[in-house]
Amino acid sequence: MSSDVIMVIVVGTALAFDFTNGFHDTANVVATSISTGAARPQVAIGVASLLNFVGAFISISVAATVANDVVNAAVITPTIVFAGLIGAIAWNLITWWFGLPSSSSHALIGGVVGSAVAAVGFDAVLAEGLVGKVLIPAVVAPVVAFIVAGLGIGIAYRIVGRQRPGPVTRGFRYGQIVSGGLLALAHGTNDAQKTMGVITLALIANGTLAANADPPFWVIASAATAIALGTYFGGWRIIRTTGSRIIKMDAAQGFSAQGAGATVILASTHFGFPLSTTHVINGGVMGAGAAKRVSAVRWGVAGNIVVAWLLTLPAAAAIGAATYGLTRIFGTGALGPVLVTLMALGLVAVMFSKRSQQGAPVPAS
Amino acid sequence: MIATILQTTDLLETVVASLVAGVGVTTAFSTAIWGGTRFVDLSRGGRPLAAGAAAAVGALALALTLAAVVFGIVVMTSK
Repeated sequence: MSSDVIMVIVVGTALAFDFTNGFHDTANVVATSISTGAARPQVAIGVASLLNFVGAFISISVAATVANDVVNAAVITPTIVFAGLIGAIAWNLITWWFGLPSSSSHALIGGVVGSAVAAVGFDAVLAEGLVGKVLIPAVVAPVVAFIVAGLGIGIAYRIVGRQRPGPVTRGFRYGQIVSGGLLALAHGTNDAQKTMGVITLALIANGTLAANADPPFWVIASAATAIALGTYFGGWRIIRTTGSRIIKMDAAQGFSAQGAGATVILASTHFGFPLSTTHVINGGVMGAGAAKRVSAVRWGVAGNIVVAWLLTLPAAAAIGAATYGLTRIFGTGALGPVLVTLMALGLVAVMFSKRSQQGAPVPAS
Repeated sequence: MIATILQTTDLLETVVASLVAGVGVTTAFSTAIWGGTRFVDLSRGGRPLAAGAAAAVGALALALTLAAVVFGIVVMTSK
């Protein structure tokens, strides 16, 4: 009974995290299409939401990595997963509050690793998987997106540079319908799978699933629904878009940036690398901008992304570890997770209430 | 040991696939736009043969773009 209560809380918390992930990332996925005039906001957000949902069904490689290759599932308990999720959500809320850039993906993995270390020690961490499948790809992927977008836009300008700008812009705007769709599909498949992986990890830890089991269909469907709903509702609070924050883009740059982001995320997903989709998309946008004029790019945003990358994993890990310690004060049953959930909900209510009195927040990138 | 930790092969394949697909699709689609634009301009200029050639290049490039997108999705869903 106690473990069932904890599992319900873990699944609910994971889906809430998935919703906030979609909510948080909508701007990154649709901003380029909207800023270049390729799609109206309502259309871009609706299509992105639908393709996020579809994307969640096309692969389970990333879910397998999160469930089996980051921490040792044999020593993990549902309470550890719960504490990790709270660590990730708390870090996302802190960065949202202060307007700092963040990565939901890094926060999730950091939170789970931190709570696992607090509960079991460093033996719980699978260093090979953490370094090889999470940390190294996290650094490489945005750089590759930067290079791909830069090379792509350079070649595109050489090919169409002497043509009339009107038809060229219209052509790339049509192209952005496809590249923007692919980016939403890629976002859905990589990000929704992290939630699937965490729920699967909890189910394995609870003994509901065998070790190395794939996510059940209900886990895939619920994660897909949560991220799609988050994407849809997140779209209505876009304040400043990725495109205009980093650089004012033309349609060709938008196409190149979206294409680079989509290909890097899809290729990484195929090999099971859980990425920060936000960092990859921003890498593509900066690459497309820098190829035209280096000074046009707001390099401060790039610096913020690096800081976010450095801070997010250890900070979420620390909060995950602290949350696990707090949960264990109330014993090993369901009381700890129930009380921590109530405290977290209360804190979220206070934060949103205060923020609504102070005015709209600046969304983290 | 280091090669195992770094997942060298998978990472390298990811980088190469991203470069080929990302740059390739942008190149192909740009060529399609070039073909379409040249077709209109050359048709207006009374050069139907050159216009037809530009249209053919554009159509081929557009087909290549779409094929690459479909191939990418098929590869994704096949694992």
